[in-house]
Amino acid sequence: MRGWTISLLLAVMMLSQVQADAAGVAVVNCISCHTVLSGRLSTPVKLWNSSIHAEHGITCNACHGGDPADSANAMSPARGFRGKPAAPAVPALCGGCHMGVLKHYNESAHGRALTVGGPTCITCHGSHGVVSASIELINRKNCSKCHSYTKARKIKNAMLKTEGMLKAIDKKIAVLKVQGVDTDKLEKRLFALRNRFHAMYHSLDVKLIVQESDHIQAELKKTSGIGGGGTGPLVGMLAVAWALLAALLFYLIKKNLD
Amino acid sequence: MRTKEPIEDYQVEQGLDGTTAEHAGFGRRKFISLCLGGVGALALSGFAAVVYPLFRYYLVPHSTQSSAATFQIPLNDLVPGEAKFFEFNGSAAVLLKKQDGSVVALSAVCPHLGCIVQWEQNKQDFLCPCHAGYFTADGAVISGPPPRPLAKLPFSVANNIVTVG
Amino acid sequence: MMLHKKLYNWIDDRLGMHEIINEKRSGYLLPPNVNAWYSLGSVLLVIFALQVTTGLLLMLYYVPDVDKAFSSVAFIMNDIPLGRLVRLFHAVGSSLMIVVLVLHMLSILFMGSYKSPREMHWLTGFILLLMAMGISLTGYLLPWNQLSFWATTVATDGIGTIPVVGPYLVELLRGGKMVGFKTLGRFYTLHVGLLPAGITILIGVHLFLIQRTGVSTPPFGLEDTSNPWKEEKFKYEDHPGGIPFFPNFFLQDLISISLYLACFLALVFFAPNLFLPATANLPANPYVTPAHIKPEWYFLANYQTLKLFPSEIIGLIVQVLAIAFVALLPFIDRGAEKHPLKRPFFTITALGCILLWIGMTVWGYYS
Repeated sequence: MRGWTISLLLAVMMLSQVQADAAGVAVVNCISCHTVLSGRLSTPVKLWNSSIHAEHGITCNACHGGDPADSANAMSPARGFRGKPAAPAVPALCGGCHMGVLKHYNESAHGRALTVGGPTCITCHGSHGVVSASIELINRKNCSKCHSYTKARKIKNAMLKTEGMLKAIDKKIAVLKVQGVDTDKLEKRLFALRNRFHAMYHSLDVKLIVQESDHIQAELKKTSGIGGGGTGPLVGMLAVAWALLAALLFYLIKKNLD
Repeated sequence: MRTKEPIEDYQVEQGLDGTTAEHAGFGRRKFISLCLGGVGALALSGFAAVVYPLFRYYLVPHSTQSSAATFQIPLNDLVPGEAKFFEFNGSAAVLLKKQDGSVVALSAVCPHLGCIVQWEQNKQDFLCPCHAGYFTADGAVISGPPPRPLAKLPFSVANNIVTVG
Repeated sequence: MMLHKKLYNWIDDRLGMHEIINEKRSGYLLPPNVNAWYSLGSVLLVIFALQVTTGLLLMLYYVPDVDKAFSSVAFIMNDIPLGRLVRLFHAVGSSLMIVVLVLHMLSILFMGSYKSPREMHWLTGFILLLMAMGISLTGYLLPWNQLSFWATTVATDGIGTIPVVGPYLVELLRGGKMVGFKTLGRFYTLHVGLLPAGITILIGVHLFLIQRTGVSTPPFGLEDTSNPWKEEKFKYEDHPGGIPFFPNFFLQDLISISLYLACFLALVFFAPNLFLPATANLPANPYVTPAHIKPEWYFLANYQTLKLFPSEIIGLIVQVLAIAFVALLPFIDRGAEKHPLKRPFFTITALGCILLWIGMTVWGYYS
């Protein structure tokens, strides 16, 4: 039985190695082993698979450390493996990459309450199945874990309009993109604006959010004006009319000759 | 065939104008030349509508090409006695810090046949490798076929930064 | 005025232009009952010229490199003045070229014009159709988008089912096991070099054959609709008392060309994405197959046939046989009758085949 499990493990590892090679992605042994382990040892992989981190190729070792290329020493502290961080260490860990957010968080009531059991990043965003910052995360269920929803609702309302604009432009870009319009610059600008906006969520400062939202909305208005790239319908109508008129004239000449 | 209608209509109009049936042939001829005129006008407008856009298609606007109007470099990055070649305004140019510390900005294009000159560090002069034209560090012709000196480029030095252009 | 007349005389003295024009005017007569279908060849010449022109314009900025192809097409579409139109002209024109080719072929089919002595006309025309499909297939890959990458993968994959040599043929076609930079290189060479040159030469042969045998008589509005050529010696089929090519039928050509241009321009300006689905605007990703990937519409029937048969090799053999049958039709159908209503068996069979082809295409589209 044990031998069978090991050979299955090996087979899965080899298979995923082939797949990973084919996809040109670095081999992550953590995932190949933990996928086939049972119970709580495989749950993180399942959660991770649907996370924003998985979407962008951020794998286990980015947070947990260790060596994903070497199965034997993958979880050796000598290779930088740090296991599960304690709750107060979480913001610093996440902030290693999400620097702008960390700054806003540290200054907020959430951040100041960190040492007395305040919420960390994973309280709202989840640990393995990390979800990206969105207005939906501010909801009665999440916020009521610690306090009343009143102030949170105020913040949410202040952000709703800007978030709606961001989503509308997202949709517009998706439409333009499949029409052959070069949306690269547009997407990069939107990415920067969205980041600035989402980082601001974390300050919990209603006044700042309202004020910054106005700035961002003005920027977004500039962005949403871009698009098209084609000629108007008038040129098309003129061109078709030109050809039809030519056909008519040739027809008239021919009829008069016959 | 009922498709002859337009012409019949036309001939009726001619009739109303007082022309007799014998003149119908003349009306038809006039009508054909009218149509030919229309074809000519269509051909001309079509030609104009195609040629000008094609001309614009052929010549990509300069704004989409990566060519900055100015070139900047810190003064300290220039080594005395060494030349720094760079692209300026779509053509080759050279910045030279002479041994005495003064700076020269020249076009690197030889005025003879358009080859790019080389800086000869040991002799402290420019050589055009195509037909052995020699220039001084200031661009004046020493010998060879070049008809005039290397073109001087406008530049300024402010806050220890050299700006050409 | 004088100068222009002098120049004309100078050229005429050397080339005898006047003689050619007179010959075309009164000497080159078409059958009195000639119809508009006879002008489709001229429409096709215009389409080919437009494809060559827009193709050359695209070549100014297109880069045949897997890393740059997509962005160079995006550059043409977005940054070059009128580039979007040039690209759409080329893309829409390629599909319409197949439509008009098929119409041209069907008119020849139902008017019995392929019958002897015009077997070679039909054969060259059929090869031209295959080459047009080939040039479309190879051109399809060049923008290096999701659709082009996966449609090419699917299209070349079918050949792999041929026993023994199949896998080698696929590798020969792709230049490797998978569609990659080598495939792009060889498809580019075929698309801008070999195939256009081949098509040009074959068009020349096709036109030469028509000039030598004369234009066929359509079977409509005549008492005797049988084939006038009775397997005898070479004879130019002339049409005394017919319609002069210039200016009369030339005007019919111009009418058809103008009407074609109207349809073409309407598509380019008002339905540019008819032949360019959303996946045609996403860069190729060899590791992500988009859902519902399908070949171009004129390959859908073949694609569906291939899927229909339990074994791919049988599907392939059926298709090869069908293609060979159509290509060799004038050698198989030796009957003298040309009028479609006087040969019901042929007409019903042909209509059945067309309906089958349309049915397979629609099925392939929705499956």
